[in-house]
Amino acid sequence: MMTISDLSVGYGAGDVLHSVDITAAAGELTVILGANGSGKSTLFRTVSGLIRSSSGRVEFDGEDVTRSRSAAIVRRGLAHCPEGRHLFPRMSVEKNLMLGAYVGRRDRARVRTLLERTYELFPALQDKSHQSAGSLSGGQQQMVAIGRALMSDPKMLILDEPSMGLAPLITQQVFDAIVGINQEGIGVMLAEQNARSALKIATSGYVLAEGRVVLSGAAADLADNPAVQQAYLGV
Amino acid sequence: MTLFIQQLINGLALGGIYCLAAIGLTLVFGVLGFPNLAHGALFMVGGYVTYTLLVDVGLPYVVAIVCAALILAVIGVVFERLIFHPLRHAPHTHHMIATVGVMFFLISLVQEIWGTGFLRMESPFDGRMTVAGAQISTQRIIIVITAMVVLIALTLFLKRSVHGQSIEAIEQDRTGAALVGINANVVSMMTFAVSFALVAISAGLVAPIQLLSPGMGESLSLIVFAIIILGGLGSLPGAIIGGFFIAMAEVMASTYISVGAGQAAVFIVLMAVLAIKPTGIFGTVVQR
Ligand SMILES: Nc1ncnc2c1ncn2[C@@H]1O[C@H](COP(=O)(O)OP(=O)(O)OP(=O)(O)O)[C@@H](O)[C@H]1O
Ligand SMILES: [Mg+2]
Repeated sequence: MMTISDLSVGYGAGDVLHSVDITAAAGELTVILGANGSGKSTLFRTVSGLIRSSSGRVEFDGEDVTRSRSAAIVRRGLAHCPEGRHLFPRMSVEKNLMLGAYVGRRDRARVRTLLERTYELFPALQDKSHQSAGSLSGGQQQMVAIGRALMSDPKMLILDEPSMGLAPLITQQVFDAIVGINQEGIGVMLAEQNARSALKIATSGYVLAEGRVVLSGAAADLADNPAVQQAYLGV
Repeated sequence: MTLFIQQLINGLALGGIYCLAAIGLTLVFGVLGFPNLAHGALFMVGGYVTYTLLVDVGLPYVVAIVCAALILAVIGVVFERLIFHPLRHAPHTHHMIATVGVMFFLISLVQEIWGTGFLRMESPFDGRMTVAGAQISTQRIIIVITAMVVLIALTLFLKRSVHGQSIEAIEQDRTGAALVGINANVVSMMTFAVSFALVAISAGLVAPIQLLSPGMGESLSLIVFAIIILGGLGSLPGAIIGGFFIAMAEVMASTYISVGAGQAAVFIVLMAVLAIKPTGIFGTVVQR
């Protein structure tokens, strides 16, 4: 479904991602592990068209999207729930969600169904639907962010550290929701600090260090790998 | 009492003019993050274009205003493409300098085309009406009504339509807006178009009760900046409330104190509000 080949990206002064190769199969849950500053968010921003790569190629759903705009990429079915959420803080929860369906807004019936699916996934949001997004708790805001990304009816969902700053109980809820989303057949690409929980729900994984892929494989193998255990699982 | 009612309606009319101009300015500020210092000059261009459409082309007054608004909207899109889009990665000071350039360009252009003297645009509605015992010129009533209609239509557009929501989304979070598929280029063109159209409407409305001159934008510019600072930069309700508030203060002070006090009242009110709430009435602290 997504093939990233030989991708290098920088922010002006030299690259921070170096020849990265990653593949994520349709419907699978792929986890990207890496210390702070290893380039996970940069990878995601490039894939979803927020920043341009200096070289390499991103293919999504059989199409070269390396030079595509964000709008075209969402329309193709790749949604990105970014680090830091980037909600519209002074709009209501429901307006945030409805704007998530911006690219598919003409199909009203579908938008309704998607909205219902989102409220089913996160019942807590239903009661808060008319409150401004910025007034919610961190966990609820994360739910709005995931919900907004889902409203574009994606084939694959990128989640950048969805558990950041959340209490363990809320993190568990968010992870349950991610599993639920994945079981609906939506591919997930997940960046997480919380490597143990992430590897538990993932199919395969990649480890980034200083902008390079240093390890990759099936999630179970990665969880058993001594290098991963030492660096991320605290064994 | 009749004097008060008369001045109340004058204040409402002036407030309507200020609101339309201020909303245009605050929209561009909200989306693009810089003040358009050429806004007053665009007000002037709007006035002259309306004048030409009315006097030289011979269109009916309302049609002339609508056409002037459309022409200014097109100019807005052209400016966005030609001047501000190429600067999109530059620091905001560059935009501000560019807007000053646009201001001088427009003033010179108007002087070339229409000359440096004053022009008088006759009000097509030059009668008077009696409202609660007070004599009010019909043009002022027209201003109040038109401004209300435009304000309501604009609020519906911004709050209800998906295009209006995309403007607001970009104001609130650029990255979030990009990720849901909103094209910032389109929104930025649309914002300029709406902003310029509004300032043209406000100029077309005020032209019959003021003289046209190449310098007519300058004092408006100052007041409109005071309004959006008072209301909170980038805030729509702020621009509306600020516009009426400042206009009332100006009209009442110049009626009951002195003409000079009217001008001073604007800035006294501004300073008083900022002393209490430095971000303006509806301002949120935005760090860019
Ligand atoms: N906007 C930016 N401008 C310049 N450099 C940046 C920018 N964003 C990230 N970087 C640099 O790129 C590198 C990778 O950062 P990135 O945010 O992709 O890492 P990350 O793996 O997502 O980290 P974290 O776990 O902290 O979110 C870092 O060295 C960082 O300093
Ligand atoms: Mg990151």
